[in-house]
Amino acid sequence: MITTVLGNYPKIGFPKAPNLRTALNQLDQKKITEAQLKEVEDEVSKATIQDQVEAGIDLVTDGQIRWEDGQTYFARKMSGFNINGLIRYFDTNTYYRQPIVEGKVTWREPISVGDFQFARANSSKPVKAVITGPYTLARLSKNQFYERFEDFILDLSAALNREALALQTAGATFIQFDEPSLLKNKHDLPLFAEAAKILTGGLSAKTCLCTYFGDIEGLYPKLFDLPFHAFGLDFVVGSRNFDIIDRFPQDKELGLGIIDARNTRLETIEEIVEAVRKIRRVVPSERLFVSPNCGLEFLPRANAYNKMLRMVQGARQAQKELK
Amino acid sequence: MTDALLTTSVGSFPKPDYLIKARNQLARKEIGREELHRLEKQATAEWVRSQEEMGIDILVDGEQYRGDMVEYFAENMEGFAISGLVRSYGNRYYRKPIAVKPVGRGGPITIDMFRYTQGLTSKPVKGMLTGPYTIADWSFNEYYPTREAFIMELARAVHDEAIDLERAGAKYIQIDEPAISTRPEELEIAMRALGIATKGLSVHTITHICYGDFATIYPKMLELPVDQIDLELANSNYDLLELFRKHPFTKSIGLGVVDVHNHRLESVAEVKAGIKKALELIPPERIYVDPDCGLKTRTVEEAKEKLRVVVQGVQEVKKELGLN
Repeated sequence: MITTVLGNYPKIGFPKAPNLRTALNQLDQKKITEAQLKEVEDEVSKATIQDQVEAGIDLVTDGQIRWEDGQTYFARKMSGFNINGLIRYFDTNTYYRQPIVEGKVTWREPISVGDFQFARANSSKPVKAVITGPYTLARLSKNQFYERFEDFILDLSAALNREALALQTAGATFIQFDEPSLLKNKHDLPLFAEAAKILTGGLSAKTCLCTYFGDIEGLYPKLFDLPFHAFGLDFVVGSRNFDIIDRFPQDKELGLGIIDARNTRLETIEEIVEAVRKIRRVVPSERLFVSPNCGLEFLPRANAYNKMLRMVQGARQAQKELK
Repeated sequence: MTDALLTTSVGSFPKPDYLIKARNQLARKEIGREELHRLEKQATAEWVRSQEEMGIDILVDGEQYRGDMVEYFAENMEGFAISGLVRSYGNRYYRKPIAVKPVGRGGPITIDMFRYTQGLTSKPVKGMLTGPYTIADWSFNEYYPTREAFIMELARAVHDEAIDLERAGAKYIQIDEPAISTRPEELEIAMRALGIATKGLSVHTITHICYGDFATIYPKMLELPVDQIDLELANSNYDLLELFRKHPFTKSIGLGVVDVHNHRLESVAEVKAGIKKALELIPPERIYVDPDCGLKTRTVEEAKEKLRVVVQGVQEVKKELGLN
């Protein structure tokens, strides 16, 4: 059983790292340079990884400290996009600037590779690369170019495949694709299946399809036929997943998102053990990743840290009890 | 003739530098609450004067004494603990409250500042509250077994505050529910909660909603138990008006005509074009013109410039159409 987090992490509130919020304000007022901002981002990224390692997380991320949000981080560096006004991100009280597609989408240059390399060089634990998936990126953008939504998705899949290949070349051995929007548009599974082939083409790294903010009713069991090695699912908002899944492929791994990353209430160790016990009927613990149900940035940093600590305690207890 | 195209604001204005400094000084315990409160009143009076000078019809107090719109109410209610900072977008953060016990109103929250502000002007000042659905949705919940129980408890508290505002002389009461467009499946609960909050009020009631997928809650949203719905139009290139073409907008509208999250100042021509688009669908006596949202994230000067453009746009449209 491996413990992991899904991606983003609070950007401020570290006792020992400089304050990124202050630095961004200073940049806005031209009191510091881009290079000075980058130094602060570097320090905060290191502190984020440090938090995860200290909490006992086995597979860490860079915390997405340099991402303004999951959409613009990728859209800004691809051809075909412009950036529009603020819009709410799902049912959260967080917002992102909406990408507008105004031309053919193509991959131009590595987007996340530099950040990945930095994280890897500064982590004693393996680092997972995270990419916002083509379906979600398309759904959360405004399409003013493609006549057919399918063409938009397929172009995006090809572009993000280039990014994944660049990450692999840079040493990434585990690449996660986030697709929360798939849960809101389940009828599009056939289209996504076509996209997934393009997205994962040529990849030998382990790939994970990660969904959150809901359950997979309507996608199950076909979802698990898609060409990914692992599937990360939300068992908090999507608690029905426990009842929905009664079979799981023997050659694949399951991400068990059981820690509520959107509420401060700490799960008890018993609750965590119980969740592992329930899913073990379908997936043995050696093929489980225990994680929060979504990114931890919805919490203040101290709460996020405590959630990770509790998750690791719970996972260890489960391993002991359920041998 | 009846009032047409009245100008107003959504609620918050930026705080002047001396007030930001004073808030930091309070946090470091270098000054006391009384000194801060004196400066909050000073800043409020300055904003009242500015709004009067610009010729705005319905004033707001500018929320100089509030931090975040949810945090402020949670801090002044029972049952909440205040957590660390969480990010809402870009480089904006707020302290997200945590319901740790039964929540409720210990006593009046906004009434003293309402009375003070209304005492400074002969123009009407809006009473400004945050709605029960939004307070619940933007808080962590460690106490209530269901969201609904949490929301309804808050609705009763907001209702008591609204009744007190009406008694204190408020002619307009705005209960902001920006979270309401978040979950179409909970619209029913949110409406019921707002119904509790506005029950028995005889003044003009308003709710402000923003950043959502309106296509999923329109026209159902027109059943919200208020007289006016205030919406951001500029930020979405007036896309919402297309929905109104298919199903008429039956309430009064607060028409946001300048984007509050952008440094760029809209031209008077853009504002006029926006108002005219709305006039194709809604009569002028049911249109209140304002910025998209609270202006607190702009600088004082940017906020004033945006308000001036709103007022000038309205004046020119009224003149062209012979509205006064």
